[in-house]
Amino acid sequence: MALGSKHFKELYKREFENDQLRGNLKKATIQAVDKREESFAEVDFPFLQDQAKKIKQESISHLNEYLSRFDDMAQRNGCKLFYAQSPDEAKDYVLEVARKFDAKTIVKSKSMVTEEIELVPFLGEHGIDAVETDLGEYIVQLAHEKPSHITTPAIHKSRREIAELFHEKIGSELNSDPKFLTAEARKVLREKFLGAEVGISGANFLIAETGDVVVVENEGNARLSTSSVKAHVVVTGIEKVIPKFSDLRIFMRVLGRSSTGQKLTSYISIIRGPRTKTEKDGPEEVHIVLLDNGRSGLLGTEYQDVLHCIRCGACLNVCPIYRNIGGHAYGSVYPGPIGSLVTPLFYGLETARDLPFASTLCGNCAEVCPVGIEIHHHLLSLRHEMILAKKPWMERLIFRNFRKVMLRPRRYEFMGKVVRLFSMANFLKPFMKKWTAYREIPERPPSSFREIYRNNK
Amino acid sequence: MKDSREKIFAAIRHGLRESKKFVAIRNDRSPLKRILNGGFASLFEKFNSELKSLGGEAVVFDDEKDASKFISGHAGERLFVYDEALSGHEHLIDEVSVPVSMSSNFNFGYDKRDAAVFDSALSSCIACIAETGTVVTSNNMRLPAALATKLFVIAESRSLIPSLDDLFKDEYKDFKGSNLFLISGPSRTADIEKELVTGVHGPKEVYVIFINKNE
Repeated sequence: MALGSKHFKELYKREFENDQLRGNLKKATIQAVDKREESFAEVDFPFLQDQAKKIKQESISHLNEYLSRFDDMAQRNGCKLFYAQSPDEAKDYVLEVARKFDAKTIVKSKSMVTEEIELVPFLGEHGIDAVETDLGEYIVQLAHEKPSHITTPAIHKSRREIAELFHEKIGSELNSDPKFLTAEARKVLREKFLGAEVGISGANFLIAETGDVVVVENEGNARLSTSSVKAHVVVTGIEKVIPKFSDLRIFMRVLGRSSTGQKLTSYISIIRGPRTKTEKDGPEEVHIVLLDNGRSGLLGTEYQDVLHCIRCGACLNVCPIYRNIGGHAYGSVYPGPIGSLVTPLFYGLETARDLPFASTLCGNCAEVCPVGIEIHHHLLSLRHEMILAKKPWMERLIFRNFRKVMLRPRRYEFMGKVVRLFSMANFLKPFMKKWTAYREIPERPPSSFREIYRNNK
Repeated sequence: MKDSREKIFAAIRHGLRESKKFVAIRNDRSPLKRILNGGFASLFEKFNSELKSLGGEAVVFDDEKDASKFISGHAGERLFVYDEALSGHEHLIDEVSVPVSMSSNFNFGYDKRDAAVFDSALSSCIACIAETGTVVTSNNMRLPAALATKLFVIAESRSLIPSLDDLFKDEYKDFKGSNLFLISGPSRTADIEKELVTGVHGPKEVYVIFINKNE
């Protein structure tokens, strides 16, 4: 992990104080939430959510069987499969394929797993120009930044900032019209597509029954990245497998709506293998890299359903924390509520000890999750685990005594008086600076409820 | 590689050793609140309204000459035609006035820059989905339709199906070829301040043409 999510406490303050960022985020997330709601009007969301959850439960609880079936079918279709336990294994394999095809340019479509393993900088270190072709990803690549949203990577950037970036990096005229900027990117990237030898994509779903790789997108860049090259490399996680082709009728209806508020994304590529003998173009080879990197460790635990996630990003848009600080504050490839779960679970609690606390536990995330992951409950469990691991003696002492006080009415009454006395004397104020920085201390009542009751009896 | 494969499968089996195996009870009912049915006219109405909302357009012609005139009026400077698009519609490009190249003129493994010279492409499709205004294609040349600015798709009235429930079935599961593409309107993005822009990497204009000869 490049940034190290250990630094959440410092990062969130910086982002929270950036008014421009908060403005961009507010506008973008409100629009995304409205569009999502509108797009679900025509379909029965609880039904889709229930079915999607059940199918994912089946997929993951039989992962060895479905993955093995996918493996058989994909090989039968002519694909080459590679299993990687770690990011290094995956990266080395992709480099091997790139070298086999003497690749100088690689076109890459959006894939969270390639972000996770930091594939693009790795290929760059080996002299390969690996170009992000999704517009948002291209913008953050030019800016040497990381994506700040799962489906809208440049959500934190304003049109003016992007215009300045294009002017500086690709010599575009200083024009902040999104149409102009998109046309500029099209021009530059078209040449990359035509010059590339290898294309890399992720996968939204892997179908066990047919061995198909399903890639969902809007711009047409994934379609070109997987078609205009000699070799197509799919880099994805082992948890993406689903049992049946017919299951797509559920997932296709929830994915577009949940991520961008579309009934269906503009393009869905169902890729069965390399070009056939009757096809005049398309890749000669299709390689599928299946990454574990901590995923199998979640099987059999209470967090197993985290592997159901279809990376739609709906939980980010409704999260009051994300909406105020954006994705970079999480310091992790996977931001937002799902990122606060995935990061500590994949990389270990120590690497991301603040992230489970980056939540109000309001449950908005679970409500909109198309596969019904109880994100806020899991975050609470992670907090519990972290507290146990940390052994905070002061908190333990306080809560032990708190328990004693709460169990005895006389002690409770006595302590009530003591606390009121101290707070009236402003004694507690210096100890509560962090608490009072953003909150008011409640008004102190002159007498307790019991006293009022007794006096009015 | 074998080592990693075995280790990952061993880790999966180990993780799942005490887990309850869940089998989903799939409910085949459609998630649509209003079931789409009826004849061609009502499905076409829905298809066209969905496609229009995405920035595309669907039209119906009774004969090929009218369709040909429509293509000619909207085509750019050079038109690429997939051979399959003319199957059963021999006169479809009779009235087209711009230079035309047929897919049969391209060799296997042709230079991809040759596909980039066409600003328009005429393709066939294997299905159209009324629910979402989507066309489903599976061509033996992927690039011309993906690179063009204007895409024309010829559809048969029988290929218009009500919903995604009708596509993700056994009938389409065993498609021939290496790929199945679902195209819903023009290529689009909202990556810059959530403002919608069409024609990012793929076609900016999408026209679906139904020819209803005797139907």
